[in-house]
Amino acid sequence: METSEATFITPVVPMDFTYNYRIGPYMTRYLEGFKERKILGSRCPACGRIAVPPRKYCGVCNKVMEEMVELPQEGTLENFTVGHVILEKGQLKAADAPYVLGLIRLDEKASLLLHRVEGVDPSRVEKGMKVKAVWKEDVEGDYGDLDHFEPA
Amino acid sequence: MDKKVAIVGFRMKSAPDLVTTRERLTFELTRGLFDDLGIDRTAVDTTIFSTNDFLDGRTISNVFLDGPAGAYMRDESKVEMDGINALMYAVIRILSGQYSTAMVVALGLTGSQVSPYLHVEYQLSPVYDRQMRLLNELSAAAFQARSYLARYGYSEKLLDEVAAQALSNAAANPNQARKIPGASAEQVASSSPYYEPLRELHCYPPTDGGCAMLLASAERAKELTDKPVWVLGMGQSIETFYLGERDLAKSPSTAQAAQRAYEMAGIRDPKAEIDLAEISALFAHQEPLLAEALGLLEEGKAEEAYRSGDTAISGKMPLNPSGGALGGHPISATGIIRTAEAVRQLRGEAGDNQVGKAEVAVVHGQDGPCAQQNAVLVLGI
Repeated sequence: METSEATFITPVVPMDFTYNYRIGPYMTRYLEGFKERKILGSRCPACGRIAVPPRKYCGVCNKVMEEMVELPQEGTLENFTVGHVILEKGQLKAADAPYVLGLIRLDEKASLLLHRVEGVDPSRVEKGMKVKAVWKEDVEGDYGDLDHFEPA
Repeated sequence: MDKKVAIVGFRMKSAPDLVTTRERLTFELTRGLFDDLGIDRTAVDTTIFSTNDFLDGRTISNVFLDGPAGAYMRDESKVEMDGINALMYAVIRILSGQYSTAMVVALGLTGSQVSPYLHVEYQLSPVYDRQMRLLNELSAAAFQARSYLARYGYSEKLLDEVAAQALSNAAANPNQARKIPGASAEQVASSSPYYEPLRELHCYPPTDGGCAMLLASAERAKELTDKPVWVLGMGQSIETFYLGERDLAKSPSTAQAAQRAYEMAGIRDPKAEIDLAEISALFAHQEPLLAEALGLLEEGKAEEAYRSGDTAISGKMPLNPSGGALGGHPISATGIIRTAEAVRQLRGEAGDNQVGKAEVAVVHGQDGPCAQQNAVLVLGI
């Protein structure tokens, strides 16, 4: 017996059910920093690398990081991509307009921070560009406070 | 690990839409495998599934596949990773001496039943990435592609050439899902842009598929087949999750996994000793990047290698003669399908995709954003 193409049912797995994820003290500190328009990282006592956002252990040498450091608001675009699509709940759709995502280095020792880069023509964006943080007018300790980066 | 565990048979299937159910596909693959070998379920000492509960929309989904696989009232378990990891468990179980045969069954219906991109979307950190909503599988791969191209000063055309070779190989392979006969670099270059520099045809297609494979101890293998393919070495390794801390232009975890596998297999000079590679490259740039990490291509020489035909089916280092994952990526099954394709080569049964000399093959499987976890097998006859 062959399966008919018409025999689909579509039980939607409810991915909007609630999980109460604790964000932990390091991420809490990061978001508190946003209230003062500060970008914080944690520095490794062994190798000196800085994790942004901060985390308890170094991703490279696995040492415990306790020192919080404030990072500059300006950095260098180390890598970028121009998005022509968006993914919404797994569905690939055309974007309204091309947009730029960048991996930004705020300090020589810091991990790269992923963010939107605005205020630049996507066809002219280049590796090595200097970019600076742009904050929301009202900051409240939320992920969205650091809104995007723009050419410095 | 010389000739202790063999692959004795397999069944595989892929298509954009297999018009099937998980249970039906499992039944078809496993019963087909039993029929090929003239055995029944009692000949299978242990079964290891590789499926993904999240993509199946059902928890501990393997318990519903035991019936169609004939694994009920038998020894059975599962991994929630690429199937190549299930195969490694199967090898270890046989090496333990407790089992003389082990079956691996891997499947993913990510062509017709669920979006493949959810797999990585829900791997991301719920307390950061998912709140920021900037990163996904495709944008992460785009960063990796640019990072790789920039390191060696390669042109974006390399991606088109890699994809064209893979797609042409896939078109000749009856087991592949994506068929674009005569795929050219120009055609790849004019496909829809996703995240620059990646376009649609640089990326794997949503695919339904699966593979069932039987492994056996040396003694049992001789009873089951005249053409055993031996697992000579294996290794795996994982790097840090955080994208901003990884050197995306290289794959140190693949290099480490390969080193372990080569050491076990007694391979000293992979370029000279390995005849072909089946690499789970989900995006065009990953094929040369991973081939470098596997020690099969010289770093910085990928453009020459592809342009000179060295990496083609007829070349001196054929990469993905089957067409690789650009021809099909049924999540969970991809690594085991690469293994089955290498077995076809080593048995001289690869038809239009057959490479000249095929005595030792390397197989690669991956999981995680930008190939975070990598596993390597060395197979030989």
